[in-house]
Amino acid sequence: MVSEKVTVINKMGFHMRPAGLFVAEMAKFKSAINIVFNGKNIDGKSIMNVMAACMKCGAEIEIQCTGEDEEAMLAKAVEMVKSGLGEA
Amino acid sequence: MYQGIGASAGIGIGKAVLIRQAELDWSGVVFQGAAAEKERLHKAIAAFIDKTNAMADAMRARVGEKQAEILTGQVLMVGDPFMSSQMEENIDRGLCAEAAVDGVCAMYIDMFSQVEDELTRQRASDVKDLRARLISILMGKESVDLASLPAGSILVAHDFTPSMTAGIQRQHVEAVVTEVGGVTSHSAILARTMELPAALSVPGIMSAVQDGDILVVDGGEGQVLVNPDPAVVQEYRERQARLAADKAALAAYRDRPTLTADGQTRELFCNIGSPKDTEKVLEATGEGIGLFRTEFLFMDRASLPTEEEQFEAYRQVAQAMGGREVIIRTLDVGGDKEIPYLGMEKEDNPFLGFRAIRYCLQRREMFTAQLRALLRASAYGKVKIMLPLVTCIEELRQTRVLLGQLKEELAAQDIPFDKDIKLGVMIETPAAALISDLLAREADFFSIGTNDLTQYTMAVDRGNSAVAYLYSPLQPAVLRSIRTIIRNGREAGIPVGMCGEAAADPLMIPLLIAFGLTEFSVSATSVLATRRAIASWSQSEAERLAEEVMALSDSDGIKAYLKAAVSKH
Repeated sequence: MVSEKVTVINKMGFHMRPAGLFVAEMAKFKSAINIVFNGKNIDGKSIMNVMAACMKCGAEIEIQCTGEDEEAMLAKAVEMVKSGLGEA
Repeated sequence: MYQGIGASAGIGIGKAVLIRQAELDWSGVVFQGAAAEKERLHKAIAAFIDKTNAMADAMRARVGEKQAEILTGQVLMVGDPFMSSQMEENIDRGLCAEAAVDGVCAMYIDMFSQVEDELTRQRASDVKDLRARLISILMGKESVDLASLPAGSILVAHDFTPSMTAGIQRQHVEAVVTEVGGVTSHSAILARTMELPAALSVPGIMSAVQDGDILVVDGGEGQVLVNPDPAVVQEYRERQARLAADKAALAAYRDRPTLTADGQTRELFCNIGSPKDTEKVLEATGEGIGLFRTEFLFMDRASLPTEEEQFEAYRQVAQAMGGREVIIRTLDVGGDKEIPYLGMEKEDNPFLGFRAIRYCLQRREMFTAQLRALLRASAYGKVKIMLPLVTCIEELRQTRVLLGQLKEELAAQDIPFDKDIKLGVMIETPAAALISDLLAREADFFSIGTNDLTQYTMAVDRGNSAVAYLYSPLQPAVLRSIRTIIRNGREAGIPVGMCGEAAADPLMIPLLIAFGLTEFSVSATSVLATRRAIASWSQSEAERLAEEVMALSDSDGIKAYLKAAVSKH
């Protein structure tokens, strides 16, 4: 497993559209993705769980990827969060 | 008459069509084995996706991308692999596909309903909609078809789900009425976009109305009349026609400059509370921003916004307005505006206490961040800074000194800003009005805030119904004050605007023209009506009227006189 901590920077956090973009990208990887936020584990391929977790601007999250392409998946996930999930 | 919430203005007259959700009782469905149930589930999901995408396309073409998003969101949700595997697990435990969908959706509805964030909580209604539609596909029951309604229909429903609103054909529907939902609900927003009259949250309307009843819906007042007298229907038809004629007449003022009848230019700006409001301002042909309240940046959060966040918001507005004037008011906290994390102490007299500019000058770090953000944003448009609740000249001087220091700091850091940025004062206290001649020597502009000016001048709390009758800008004391402020500003050669509700009041407008107000700042919805009212008065006519009005000694007399003069005019 590889992991990294990041902070959500886009204003609305993981609401519908950014969450949709995020899970669509994650679905392209074979590895599993777990997001740890506020002590809870969230499946990063599930838009329902990602949205319900309510990760808003300023939220500190840890992304954990496990599987054959875990490195590439983690890099992509971190990059997406750091760049504001497609939003300014 | 039935009373609800007015959610989308306009009058609709037509025949009631009751929308009843199909009964989705799956208790009679027999489990056909895990493999068969899973196949049914996946077929239903595929059908759901096809259908919803088609509805989203139709919605996009009809009302726009934003409205379609709620439907494409449902497609994303139903495609969640985690959710479908949970449904499959339920099937493996011996549940039919309907029960599996019901159970898993119920869990998510619960999960979303418990979230604090309102936007996320709204997802619960999406899951409810999704569940109902998925189960109706599984059971082979078509959901309500709104596309084939006869012309002149008024839809009556318990609630309008996103998928239902998507099916409405505007040309066949005169109005909508629901038992639940508020002005910010999805259906309310959609109704306003479609200019469809809507009365929401009308209690018990589903049982009070039958299919085919004649309904009159006043979407502005939120009222519904059931089978009214033909004479009453006729009355509403006439009002409907008047509203339509008025709207068409106002539309003529869209592409005109704001001029008095004798051709003098006045500025017509808008008041906004957040960057997204600029869209409405531009759509309404507002010529600038006369008051950008910055409180929204500080509210509904756990800590102070950073300089960067503020800069971003101010820059957005400055850029969206494309070089037109944007007057931004520094934080006006205190009084009735509370921000928990600031830890302000409870006061016996909050309106006379530690608020607005008084508070900002004591909280240097916070004020510095806001002023720096404003200065940086001034490189991207025509930004002006306005100070709230000024009562003495030191408040202006101290701010100017601080602003000067920050300018030097930014210059040293090679960060661009407008070197000639204007610093003005909001005149909203009797103290500021009485020293407006002194303030005018040092302020770059004035903006009169009539709401607070009236409250403080009359010493009246307008929220207190026992004394609310005293609250009127037409009180001679308030009118004299306004006249003095404008005169003192003009004599010093600085622009004087008004950003209170009075600036859009047709009774006040001739007086303001007469006094020499240069800028009117109103809500986006009032722009056209205000432009029309300004265009109806010449300077000399307005001055004649003002002279007579200012000789009257009581506000009732002034109001009656102005009403007669304006309607005759």
